[in-house]
Amino acid sequence: MTKLKVEGLRKSFGDNEVLKGLNLEVNEGEVVVIIGPSGSGKSTFLRCMNLLESINGGRIIIDDYDLTDPAQDINKVRENVGMVFQQFNLFPHLTVVENITLAPKQLRSLSDKESRELALRLLDSVGMAEKADVYPNSLSGGQKQRVAIARALAMEPDLMLFDEPTSALDPEMVGDVLEVMQRLAKDGMTMVVVTHEMGFAKEVADRVVFMDEGQIVEIGPPSQIFDQPENERTKNFLDKVLV
Amino acid sequence: MIRKQTSAFLLALTFVASFALSLLPVSSVSATEDNHYTIATDVTFAPFEFQNADGEYVGIDIELLEAIAEDQGFTYDLQPMNFSAAVQALESNQVDGVIAAMSITPEREENFDFSEPYIDAGPVIAVHEDNEDINSYEDLNGKTVAVKVGTTGAQFANELAEEYDIQINQFEDSANMYEDVAAGHSDAAVEDYPVMAYAIQQGLALRVATEPEQGYPVGFAVNGGQNPELLEMFNAGLTNVVENGTYEEIMNRYLGEEAASAPSGGFFALLSQNFDSLMSGLGRTLVLTLASFAISLIAGTIIGLFSATPNKALNLIANIYVTILRGIPLIVLAFFMYFTVPQLFRLQISAFTAGIITLSLNTTAYIAEQVRGGIAAVDKGQLEAARSLGLPYGTSMQKVVLPQAIKIMIPSLINQFVITLKDTSILSVIGIVELTQTGRIIIARSYESGAMWIIVGAIYLIIITVLTKLSNQIERRLIND
Repeated sequence: MTKLKVEGLRKSFGDNEVLKGLNLEVNEGEVVVIIGPSGSGKSTFLRCMNLLESINGGRIIIDDYDLTDPAQDINKVRENVGMVFQQFNLFPHLTVVENITLAPKQLRSLSDKESRELALRLLDSVGMAEKADVYPNSLSGGQKQRVAIARALAMEPDLMLFDEPTSALDPEMVGDVLEVMQRLAKDGMTMVVVTHEMGFAKEVADRVVFMDEGQIVEIGPPSQIFDQPENERTKNFLDKVLV
Repeated sequence: MIRKQTSAFLLALTFVASFALSLLPVSSVSATEDNHYTIATDVTFAPFEFQNADGEYVGIDIELLEAIAEDQGFTYDLQPMNFSAAVQALESNQVDGVIAAMSITPEREENFDFSEPYIDAGPVIAVHEDNEDINSYEDLNGKTVAVKVGTTGAQFANELAEEYDIQINQFEDSANMYEDVAAGHSDAAVEDYPVMAYAIQQGLALRVATEPEQGYPVGFAVNGGQNPELLEMFNAGLTNVVENGTYEEIMNRYLGEEAASAPSGGFFALLSQNFDSLMSGLGRTLVLTLASFAISLIAGTIIGLFSATPNKALNLIANIYVTILRGIPLIVLAFFMYFTVPQLFRLQISAFTAGIITLSLNTTAYIAEQVRGGIAAVDKGQLEAARSLGLPYGTSMQKVVLPQAIKIMIPSLINQFVITLKDTSILSVIGIVELTQTGRIIIARSYESGAMWIIVGAIYLIIITVLTKLSNQIERRLIND
C-alpha cells in the first residue's frame, strides 16, 4: 500500500527552480534513501514532503490526505509524519522529557504521568533513559540526535523523514544514531532518509533515489544503484564518494 | 492651530491613538455645570503664580482668582502648565479660562475674550547686577536678549530688534531665562515689570535697567465666545474686591515693601526643604514609567508578533505602526495627544492620561522592534521542529519560540525601561508635575538652578541605578532557570 505519493513536485527559490517535477511513491514499511551531490535538492525535496517548504507545483499525498489541498489541515497530517533534522533542533529551554512530551500534551491532552511514561519508554528505546531530566545543552551530538528521534516518535507517526541526521555528528557518534534508525526500519517504520552514509543506504534501504540538479536521475534497489548504475551521473557521483 | 483635516498621517495616528485611548479612562467633554470651572495658570511666573515651600500655589493671580471666586460663588480646579501650553489648552477647550498674567493684545483678542484689566505689566529690560553698560534700549545694540516664548516681552524684544541689532534667545520659562542672563549667555532679559521686580527682591542677581513700558493691560481670558458667564462673574468680582480693599492687600503682599526675601540656605537646605515635593515628583515619574511600560509590554509583544508572522497584512500593520511612532519625536507626540486629539474628537484628556498614552505609544514601537528582533534571533529550526510535530503556529510560538526570544530580549528591555523612565521628563511640557517639572517649579521660587539640577540629576541617577541592579538580578535568575 502506498504511504507517500509525490507527483510533479516543483519548487523555486526566487527565479531559481531547485526541484524540477519530481515523482516518487513510497510504500508502507519501505525505507527509501535519497543520495546525491550537495545542492542537488535532496533536503529541499524532503522538507517539501511535510510542507515545511511551500511548493510551487505538483501534489503530495500522505495516506489519503492531499497536503497540497488548501482545505487540508496540515497539522493533522504532520502529527503522523515525524521529522529528524541535521541540527537536531531540540528545544533548549525544555528538559529532555519535556522536549518529548510537549506535542502529546498539547495535541493529545495526555496527563503529566501518561506523557512522562510515554517519554521514558521512547527514551529507553533510543538508549537515553538515564538523561531524561537534563537539558539538551549538556548532551553530546549523538545523544541529542537520539533524543530528537524519540521526540519525533512521540506522536506515534507512521512515516519518518530524516534530513541528513548524522551530518553534524562526530564520527564516533554516527554509529549509535544509525543503529537506532536501523532498528526503527526493522520494526517496520516507513522511512525517507537523506544521507551521505552510503553504508547505511546499502544495508538498510529498500530503494535508493539518486538526485542531481533538482531531478531524480535514477531509482532502484541498492544492489542496482551501487553495483550497476545505469546513468553516467550516478556513476560519477558514486566514484567520488566510494573511494 | 490644526484644522480638522483628514490626511493619511493624521488618520494613521488617530488609529493608533484610539487603540491606546481604549485602554485608559477618558472623560468626555464635561459641561460646566454647577458653576465649576477648570482654570489654567502658568507653572512658574512669580509673583503672579508660583508654588511656595509647602507646595501650594500662591501669587497675585491665584489669590485674586480665589477672592473673586469666593465673592461670586463659583468653584474651580487650578491647572498649572507652561504658558504656551495653557494658551493652547484654552484654544482647544481643554480648560475654561486662563489666568496667567496674560497681556491683552489685539492678536489675542481675535481668539479670546478678556476680562477688564487687573494690572498693567509693561516689559522692562533686566541685566546682570554687575553690568553697568546697559541702561537704555540703545545700549542693546549688538547684544543678546533672552525672552520667554509667546509673551509680550518676547513681542517687545522683536519690536526692539527691528530698530537695533539684537539677537534673541527664546526660553520656555522665566527661571531659565534669568539663569541665561545670570550665567552670562545672554546680556539682558525682557520681562514684565512686576515679575522682574519680585524676582530681584527674592535675591536674583539681576538689575532693572529701563523704566517699565506703559499700556500693557493684563486680564483673565476665556476662549472666544465660550463661558461668557464666567467672564461676567470675573468682572463683577474684580470690581467688588477692588472696592473692599482685598485687591490692594494682595498687591501689597507681592509688590509692596513687605514682600519678604526668601532665605538661601545652601545645597542641603534646598534638598531638605523640598524633599517632599521632590519625592512626590519622583512618585509621579515612577507611576508614569511603570504604567506606560506595562501597557507597552503587552501592546509591543502583540505588534512584535504581528511583524514576525508570515501574514503579510499583519506585517504591514506592524510596519506602519513602528514607522509612524518611531518617526515622531516624543515631545511632538505629547503635544498631539494633549492638544490635537481633544480637538479632533471633542474629548477632555487629563495631562496625566495624555502623558501615559504618549509614552505607551512611543515605547510600544520600540518594544515591538525588540520582540521582532528577539524572535528573529531564535534559530528558525526551532519553529520548524515544533511545526513538524503537528503543533499549530500559535502554540509553537507560545511554547517554543517566545520563551527563548524573551531571554534574548531581557537586556534590551531593561535598557528600554531606563529610556522610558528618562523620557517621562519630556512630559513636563504638557504640565505633568513629574520630577523634572518639580525641579523647575522649585527653581522658579528659589532661583537656585545650579544646585537644583544637580539634585534632580542625582535622583534620576540613583533610581535608575537601583532599578537596573534589580533588573539585572531578575535577569540572572531567569537565565539560570
